Formats: sequence, structure tokens, C-alpha cells
Amino acid sequence: MASPLSNGAERPSGSLVVVRTVDEVTSETFVRITADGSVNAYNGHVDLGTGIRTALGQIVAEELDVSFARVVVVLGDTAIVPNQGATIASETIQITAVPLRKAAAQARHFLIARAAHRLELPAAELTIEDGLVRGHNRSVSYGELIGGETIRLELADDAQVKAVGNYTIVGQSMPRVDLPAKATGELTFVHDIRVPGMLHGRVVRPPYAGVDAGPFVGTSLIAVDESSVNDIPGIIAVVRIGDFVGVVAEREENAIRAAEQLKVSWKPTPTLPDLADVETALRANPSTPRTLIDKGDVDTAIAGATTHMQRTYVWPYQMHASIGPSCAVADCSDGNIRVWSGTQNPHVLRGDLALLIERPESEIDVIRLEAAGCYGRNCADDVAADALLLSRAVGRPVRVQLTREQEHAWEPKGTAQLIDVNGGLNADGGIAAYDLATRYPSNAAPTLALLLTGRISCEGAVLQMGDRTAIPPYDYDHMRVIAHDMAPIVRASWFRGVSALPNTFAHESYIDELATEAGVDPIEYRLRYLKDQRAVDLVNAVAERAGWTPRPIREEKDGDVVHGRGFAYALYVHSKFPGYGAAWSAWVADVAVNKTTGDVSVTRVVAGQDSGLMINPDGVRHQIHGNVIQSTSRALMEEVSFERGAVAAREWGAYPIIPFPDVPKIDVLLLPRPDQPPLGVGESASVPSAAAIANAIFDATGVRFREPPFTPERILRGLHGDAAATPQALPAPAAPPPSRIWQNPFAKRAGIFATIAAVCTAAVGVGAALWPGRAIAPIARPGTSVYSAATIARGELLAALGNCAECHTTIGGAINAGGRALETPFGTIFATNITPDVETGIGAWSYPAFERAMRDGLHRDGRQLYPAFPYTHFSKTSEADLQALYAYLMAQPAVRATAPANTLAFPFNLRPLLAGWNALFHQTREFKPDPAKSEQWNRGAYLVESLGHCSACHSPRNVLGAEQRDAYLAGGFAEGWEAPALTSLSHAPIPWSEDDLFAYLRTGQSRYHGVAAGPMAPIVRDLTALPDHDIRAMAIYLNSFNDAAADAPTQDALAAKLEAATQVTVAASSGARLYQGACAVCHEVGGLPLFGSRPSLALNSNLHSASPDNLVQVILHGIAEPVSSDLGYMPAFKNSMSAAQVEQLVTFLRGQFAPDKPAWTSVRETIARVRSSTH
Amino acid sequence: MTQTPIRLTVNGRIHDVTAAPETPLLYVLRNDLQLNGPKYGCGLGECGTCTVLIDGTAARSCVIPVGGCAGRDVVTLEGLGTRDKPDVVQQAFIDEQAAQCGYCLNGMIMTTKALLAINPQPTEQEALEALRYNLCRCGTHVEILRAVMRASGRLAEAGN
Ligand code: FES
Ligand code: FES
Repeated sequence: MASPLSNGAERPSGSLVVVRTVDEVTSETFVRITADGSVNAYNGHVDLGTGIRTALGQIVAEELDVSFARVVVVLGDTAIVPNQGATIASETIQITAVPLRKAAAQARHFLIARAAHRLELPAAELTIEDGLVRGHNRSVSYGELIGGETIRLELADDAQVKAVGNYTIVGQSMPRVDLPAKATGELTFVHDIRVPGMLHGRVVRPPYAGVDAGPFVGTSLIAVDESSVNDIPGIIAVVRIGDFVGVVAEREENAIRAAEQLKVSWKPTPTLPDLADVETALRANPSTPRTLIDKGDVDTAIAGATTHMQRTYVWPYQMHASIGPSCAVADCSDGNIRVWSGTQNPHVLRGDLALLIERPESEIDVIRLEAAGCYGRNCADDVAADALLLSRAVGRPVRVQLTREQEHAWEPKGTAQLIDVNGGLNADGGIAAYDLATRYPSNAAPTLALLLTGRISCEGAVLQMGDRTAIPPYDYDHMRVIAHDMAPIVRASWFRGVSALPNTFAHESYIDELATEAGVDPIEYRLRYLKDQRAVDLVNAVAERAGWTPRPIREEKDGDVVHGRGFAYALYVHSKFPGYGAAWSAWVADVAVNKTTGDVSVTRVVAGQDSGLMINPDGVRHQIHGNVIQSTSRALMEEVSFERGAVAAREWGAYPIIPFPDVPKIDVLLLPRPDQPPLGVGESASVPSAAAIANAIFDATGVRFREPPFTPERILRGLHGDAAATPQALPAPAAPPPSRIWQNPFAKRAGIFATIAAVCTAAVGVGAALWPGRAIAPIARPGTSVYSAATIARGELLAALGNCAECHTTIGGAINAGGRALETPFGTIFATNITPDVETGIGAWSYPAFERAMRDGLHRDGRQLYPAFPYTHFSKTSEADLQALYAYLMAQPAVRATAPANTLAFPFNLRPLLAGWNALFHQTREFKPDPAKSEQWNRGAYLVESLGHCSACHSPRNVLGAEQRDAYLAGGFAEGWEAPALTSLSHAPIPWSEDDLFAYLRTGQSRYHGVAAGPMAPIVRDLTALPDHDIRAMAIYLNSFNDAAADAPTQDALAAKLEAATQVTVAASSGARLYQGACAVCHEVGGLPLFGSRPSLALNSNLHSASPDNLVQVILHGIAEPVSSDLGYMPAFKNSMSAAQVEQLVTFLRGQFAPDKPAWTSVRETIARVRSSTH
Repeated sequence: MTQTPIRLTVNGRIHDVTAAPETPLLYVLRNDLQLNGPKYGCGLGECGTCTVLIDGTAARSCVIPVGGCAGRDVVTLEGLGTRDKPDVVQQAFIDEQAAQCGYCLNGMIMTTKALLAINPQPTEQEALEALRYNLCRCGTHVEILRAVMRASGRLAEAGN
């Protein structure tokens, strides 16, 4: 079959079309054959990754007697394909393929009749092979039969289709036609559409994440501050309509930045239902009962039962969780509106878009391209509407890509469901009655932009969708089934198996419970009530294939890991009640349950299916694999988490799906039924999943689980009672505590300012009101020839050692031109311009003025400088080095720039008081070597203590912000990061060694400690200017503060031990799952090498520290600028995880990787502080 | 704003890219170089759909700024082979029909490529572990695993 995209241009010659006339002006084409012999087939459904494009091509090729390769299947372009509704409910093959098949058959009949006439032979004597009609050594092709004519046939419902026995193409496994393109990166996905002049858009969604009903929907926006994105280049527009907010930029990365940075204020969202307890929320949601069946006398039968069994089954909210967040391109630039979309219902979407922008549908063409699999619904339609609004606003084509976070939060969820079953057993072990009530808060999930812009009502519609497969497949004498229809609680829509999967979970769990109670093998028990012969055949075949032995097996089940197997069966009945059946499906699932960890693994699934005639048996088999794997994932691990009623899971750590190693072995059994009509296979095999697994867990453990997902916590709670904590409502978000710039004794204590003022005043005496120094006369900027190139080069090294540029340069600003804000506990200080600009920089500074600033902290004009400028260290620098540094700075380009005025609180804004500070804490003296120590040690000491100023961050500071002399290098705080102790006080699990210090300072990474991040990264980057022997000297000096000496083999052995002991094997908490989903890919020991380093968390100093600051910093902000790109990068999670999730993650990481350290007590406060600070 | 172009090699050709250095490589590949292979899936390094090879190692291009790729050698899905001349790994995935929607396919193929470069004949367990952090929602795992094994079998036969 040819690729649909290679067939853009229409051939000029004649053609034959089979059409259905809709009205005088509209008709729908199903098949078109052109004179060159090519065949186009049109279907209103779309390929959601299930391979229907291939299957439809097979059907057309078969009926038309052409080769499969000749057929191009065109799907989902509203301008050319028939309107056949949304691609849902496994209907494509069963329903929408029917007219296509007839159209192809009709065309064949027409052409063969024409050939008979042309060849003057009876039709019965003709044969057709790939569109060539032969008889008696003569032949004529379809193309020749059509010639230059335009033939139009009206679709005849009675067209005679082929007998199944004559099939040669249908029923054969056919390779998927789309794979070569996808495997080589050709254009196949809507994500890959590029239109000339296309811009990039992003949307900003409201805070009521994932909720689309209620009066606040579309009415919550207060204001958008467009100026907040003024600094981003190439912004074309900021668009707001109601609660719809979007940005358009020339470049995608700038649109992303703008969407993140745009200041948008929203009204607080009213209290939403608490979804931590789904059962209560669903019971509380108003509903209307609808009786689906009421047979026999249920109440009397239950009253007469000898064993009463009342059970409740709860299904969680789940996500479709498309791997590719939705994307669309819209183009309104010329009168015709075109929208490229991954929608599963192009015609419905076109209607929505027309409504949205108040234009007639005929002006809009929706072109469907493939997208990531969606298994029901994702945000494909939403993003198409977003793109259209943005394109309309800017009059150019706009591509909108939703973020992962938006797709997770806003996709219409697979809804939660609650099923109560009442019934019991008669004395003979037979079923007394079956009384089921199912609650299903579905909704239509209207296209989001319609709601956000206020185009349609935000009242959640009540749909009748809880009834799919709500009637059990068993022939119970007394049976009542009631569907309680209700409005949505969160945005929801159908998800593979719709309500049939949860309903079947109830049916198939309950009958298993009955069988256990009756003491009968569960399959045998089912067969007593199963009257449908195809079902009976399937159940028997699957039991046999799996080697089923009657349960229960009374074997000793001791030990940690117990094994069990379970059975479940379903005929998936879908579409509007009473609906019709898709394929029959039955599962035997084998599980292993670890009773200590609670871990359940599904080790093997035998999945049997009766799909009627299979168009493409390999395609059916792949669909079954997909269903088994996805539904196993849903049963074992999937549940949407909410915070204050809004969706909290916004990335894969918070909503994990099954990874490769956990996938069960799958044995597919396809029942051959070529004589039966083909049935939908896209969903059926999911339906028995959860029940089969729950039944197997029961078989293994003797404990019945009635609420998926079967997570380790839930299993442990079921096995060992309710030791685990029940979920608790989240506290209101804490007001962020003050920023922790330095180890912070500066909490606003009454009177502290006065005390400080008094202390300083006392120290300096009464003359404090005057500037402490005299002004040094300005000079003309020294010429560049005054200093030798060698001196300037040495000065450059020294500037790197002193990290001058780090503080004296703003982000993206000219080097050393000042202006960078330095936050201190006393207020904000702006670094000054140290380029040689005469007026705004230090161009007029003589060397003596410079030296005085470096040694005494005095400005050229005599003003006292604040000790944020580390002159207390710089004063130790040698005369020669200061000269070289001066020479270097003076040789740099002058930049005219005035730093903003400092904003310091009283009394710190009184510079003269600093004289008192100096008197207390500052000694002006050059470094004096210690003759008792080696030359290298002394060199290291000089570098570290003078320009290197390591202890400025790595020593604690006293209440006045001075380094504590008695706690040299004992650890401090800087810029919101902990600067850990460099002495024996270090918390690192493996003590520092000289080699580690060298490696860390040289490369930014130490195997035993981690990578440099935060403010340390630029420091190490600057140090690259220094020669190895200087770095070595620093390492020697710093290491002299370590008592514990460790050699490499000892360190290695300890590292291996720590890493082995902390491997994460079971994810038994939300924190552990966040780790596995978000962190493990780069941090788990032994993973596939990825670009960059793989820092081991077990050895990471930050995890062992007394405070969680650095861990929180790095999780929230990532590492965007490592010491070198070789180390790799870490993404920031601040926009992807909630504060509560970060807290769970940090708490888990501490417990897992630093098990011998006490739990941190201040995690929540630290997260709030770091989130609110600017660092 | 004028920016110094960043020079990198992509699929054997040298490109001078004018983009802010912090721009994730993914967007440069997709937008400036118009490549389709690497896909946006999460932007957080979690899913693997954006995988490329940088200097022969698997790399998640959504979390690597283009500035960090200066002077490096990047290979995308397009750089492996074409429809007419697919690479052995691509061919193995086609032969095994190892895609449903195919959105994860780029990551699966590129990660397999990186795996086989360091371990030409992985055991099934090693292959499963190597792909652990590549997510597939369609449940194509069985076919993908077979494709990896097929590709490694071929590589071995070829004496690689
Ligand atoms: S998009 Fe890069 S890992 Fe998901
Ligand atoms: S094939 Fe669809 S996500 Fe893997």
C-alpha cells in the first residue's frame, strides 16, 4: 500500500468514484480509481496507532481485486473524507468499514461488466489480477476501462461483496504501511508539520487543573501583565480571551519561556471535592438512577440467600497518558482556515472550531495527521482550538505544542467508578441474586477553548455511559443492574474499555468471590452460568492453553514471594445501551506477590480472543499485546493524584506507567472464526485485566483486593492491616519563610537592629557619622602599555581565582560592568562596575586607591564598602598579585554602566557603622606563610584564604554577618545554597581526600561526592584558568582540615557497599515512584550510560547533609550551567512537581540514600523558602 | 539580539546554529534543522522520545542546551538510514512491526543503537533494563524487545 502523503496531486485523466449523496450540494466519496490505475479509499475514522489504515487497505484491495500496494487510504481530512463520527468504541472495522467495502465491491462489479462488454466475453469467464481483467488471452486494465471518462456511482447498499472463502488479502498478516516512514523519521506526525511563516504558540492554563465544570471555569482570570515578557526576543503576541491565555513567538523556545514567565493572576478557585477518597466523592455526587435490567425477583432472592455478600469495588481516576503531548497547527492567514490536527474526530472538531470563531464550517478544513496513541481521548482537539485562536490573533500560521504538564493535567481522564454489588449464595452453592449499582461520572469533555472563552456553558453534562458491559455475561435468574448517571467531578472522557473495564472488574471479582465461598473452581463455576457458546469455547480454550488446574490449590504458601493465578472473562459490550459486542476476551493471569515489600508482578498472561474474521491477524495480535500491557499497568500502578481537587500529577514520576522489565510474558490465543463477521479488537483484551489480576492476587495471598491500583502500599495494608497512614488532606500552602541567604540567625527578632547599631557604634566611637577614609584623587585611566602582557595574563588568572566576574556581572550583561543584585540578610547590595570606565567604573582609580579598596574595603572616594565584597580575604593578597589584578582590570574594555542603589534596611544603610564592623572583624594584613608547613600547603593556603575566599561561603557567619573564626570552613550558606563543611565536620558518607578535592575543583565532579551545582559551578568553571599545580595546592591545603584519611581502594569498597545497600527495587511510596519516574534514569547506579555524568545519590554529600537546602535547590532549579557540558545537565522540576510532591521525593531520597541519617524535619519550609526566593 | 552561532555536527554535516545557547537541543534539531526523528515527550528527560546520540552516547535532547553541544557530533534517527537504506536497527524494528502509534519509536531505536554500541549482544534482561526509562504507552514492548534482539543477532552475524 502506498503512503498517503506521497499522493498529493490529483491525476488529470478520468476517474471512477463511488459516492453517497448527502444533499443537493454535498456528497461523500468512498473509493476513487483513476485512469492510471491508482486507488484511493476514504474513511471518516482515523488511525490512532491501531493499524486500521492497513486493515482498511486490505479490505479495499480484497473487494476490488487489486494489490494491497496499489491502495492509498485517506483518513480524516474533512474536505475529502466522509463524516463517520468519532473514532471510538472499536467501531472502525465493525461499522465504518462496511460502506467502504461495499463501495469497492460495487466498483469491481461495474468495471468487470464494462470489461465483459469491451472484451466481448461473459463476465463469468473473466479473472482479475491486480486490476487487470483477463479472459481468453486478452486483457484490459481498470485504468483503460475508465479512460478519460468521469464515472460517478451512487453507493448501493446491496452491492454484492465477496464470500469469505475467496479472500486472499483479508485474513493475511500484512506489515503495517506506516512503519518505514516512522522508523526513519519521515513526516508522519502532526507534530512534524511545518508551514511557511509558521510561528510557535504556547498556552497558559488556569489553576483549576483538569476541572472543566463549575461557574469559575472561564471566569477566573484577573489580569495578564504583558510587560513581564518584554525581555524575551521575538514575542509576537500575548492573547487573552476569558480564561484562555496564550503567547506567540517567532521561536519555540521563546514561546516556552514566555509562557513560563508571563505574570498571570487568577482568582482563587473555590473548594473542589476532595478526591483523595474516590468512594466518598462518588457517593456524594448527585446522580440519577437508570435501571438497565430487572429480572426475576432480586429482593426476595437476596432475602432468601443463605450467604449474604455485599461488596464494593472502586476504580480510580486514570490517564490516557499519551506519550506525545498534543500538538496542532492552524493557519488563518488567507481566507481559508486550515487546521492540522491529531484529532480522532475531524468532523466534530470542525464543528467546534466553527462555533469557537463564529465562522461557517465550510470555511474550515481539518486535516488529520497521526499523533501519539490516545486510547480514547487526549488533548488533540483542545490544542487545535488553541492554535486556531492564536493564529486568528496574529494572522499567521501558528503551531501549538502542549507541555507534558498540560497534557497530564488537562487531558480528559478515564473516570473513576464505584460499583456496589449485593447478592449471595443459596444453600446449594448457586447464586441467589445479583444486584449491581454502578456510578460513573463521565462527561463529554467539551473542547477546552470553548469553555475557557465562555463560548459554551460550563455546566458538566450528564452522559449515559456507565452502562457499558454493566450487565454481566452470566445468566443469573435474579438480576438487577442500575446505572447512576452523574455529572463529572473532573474533566473526563472515555478511556479504553470505558465503563466496561470497571464493571467487569466487579462482575469478575464477584463471581470469583462466590466461587470461593461455594468452594468451587472459579472457571467451572462461571461455566455453570455462561450460556453463550462462543464464550464457552473461548473460556475452555484459554483454560487449556494456560494449563489451568482447579483452584483453590491448597499448597503451603510460605516465604516472601507467593504465586497465584486468576481468571477473568468478558464480552465487551460497547456503544449506546444496550450496545453491541466487540471481540470476546478471556485472561489467565499469573502473579508473584512479595509479602514483605507488597510488590506484585504479573509474570504471565494467557489472553484468548474471538474476534470473528481477522482482517490482519498480526495486527490483532499486536492489539492484544498492547491491551494486555496497558491494562496490566493500569491495574498495578495507575491512579491520578489530586491536590485540593485539582490534578496534581503533571509528569511521569507522579503518574508512572509500566516499564519494560515489568511487562508480563504474553501468550496470545486467537480463535479462528473466518466465517464470522469481523469484530473490533482495539479494546476487548483490556476488559478482563484487573479482575484476572485481583483474582490471581487472591489466589496467591488469600486476600481480596477490590480497589486498583494494586500498589505495594495497598497490598501491604491488605496483608498486614492498616499500619500504613491513611491519606490526609493537604495543609493550606505555607507562607514562605524568609530567605536563607546565610545561616540565618537574622530572623526578625525585636530589637536586633538596634543592638547591631549599638555594637558597631560602640566599636568605632562617636566619630562614626563621618566617612572613614579620605578620598584618593582620580587619575587619568592608565594606558594599556604600562603593564606587560605577562602581568595582565597573570591578573586574568587571579581574577578567575577571585571570581570577580561572578558577582560583578549581571546575567547576560557585560562582563564586570556590575549591577548584579546580591541578596544579604541586611538587604540587597548591587555589585559595582569594575570595568575601567572613568565615570561609572574604576577607570579613574589609581593603584593605591585600588589596593586600599582590596585591603581595607574603602571606595576611592573614602566611602566604606560593604563586606559582601570580601575585602577581608582580599587583604591577604600579595602586593605583586594585586598589581597584576589591577593591570588586568585596567586593560579590559570600559563599559559605561551605573549600578542601582543598594536597598538596605536601617541600620545597615549607614555605611559609617561598617567602620565599627571592621574594627571588630577585619584585620588588614598580607598572608604570612606557615614555615612548619610545606610549600604546596602554603601556596594552597594563600590561594584559598586570599583571592579564593572559600571560607566566605564555607564558614558560618555570626549575627553580624562576619565569618566565625573558630569555625573555619565548618560550613555555611550562600545564595540560598548550603556551602558544606570542608573539614572533618563534613556530612559526606565518604570522607574527602586530596584527590577528590583536586578532581572536584578541577572538573566539577567527584565520584564520591557529586557534581558542583548552584553557586559552586561558576566557581569551578573560573578555576579552569588556574594551572593544575595551583589546584593541587588548594586540595592539599583543604585536605589538611580532614582528619580521616581514606585511600582509593577503601573509598571504592565503601562506595560500592553504600550503593548496593540503597538500590531502589520496589517503589512503595509516592516519593519512591517520583524517584523512579523522574530521577532514576540519570541517577540509578548501573543504568545505560547517558550523555553527562551519572551522580550516585548514595554518595552525594547533599543527601547526607544536616539540611535539605541543596537537594531542594537542585530538584527545583536543576543544573542549567554545569562546570562543563561533559557533566551533563539536570532539568528543573519546579514547574512539574507540586510542593507536596517535592516534599515526598526529598523525604524518600533522604530515607533511601542516607538511611543512617535522621529524617529532615524542615523539608516543607525549605521547599517554600527556595520556591519563593529568586535564586 | 545577535548571537554567536554554535557549531555542531548533525548527521555528519556541520551546522552553525543561531540560537540562544540555553535552547534545548531538541528544538534546534526540530525547528532549525527541520528534523522529525527526535520528539518532544516530556521535556524532563523522563520518557526518552527525544533521544539522539551525542558523541555516540544516548542523550535526551530535551534537557541538553545546544550550547553544550558545541563541537560535538549529534546523530538523529534520520542519520541512521532512510526508507530505502535503513540501518540494521531500523530494519529490525520494521521487520518486527515494533510500533503501534510509533511516537516512542525514535527513542526506542536510538536507545537500542546506543545499547548495541556498548553491548552488541545483550541478553533479554539487559535489553529490558536498557530500555527501562523509555516509555511506551501503546504496549508495544513485546515487539520492541524482539526488534532489539533481532538487531543484535544481525550485528553479531555481521561480525560487528
Ligand atoms: S522529551 Fe526528552 S526525555 Fe521526554
Ligand atoms: S508505540 Fe505508541 S507509545 Fe510506543
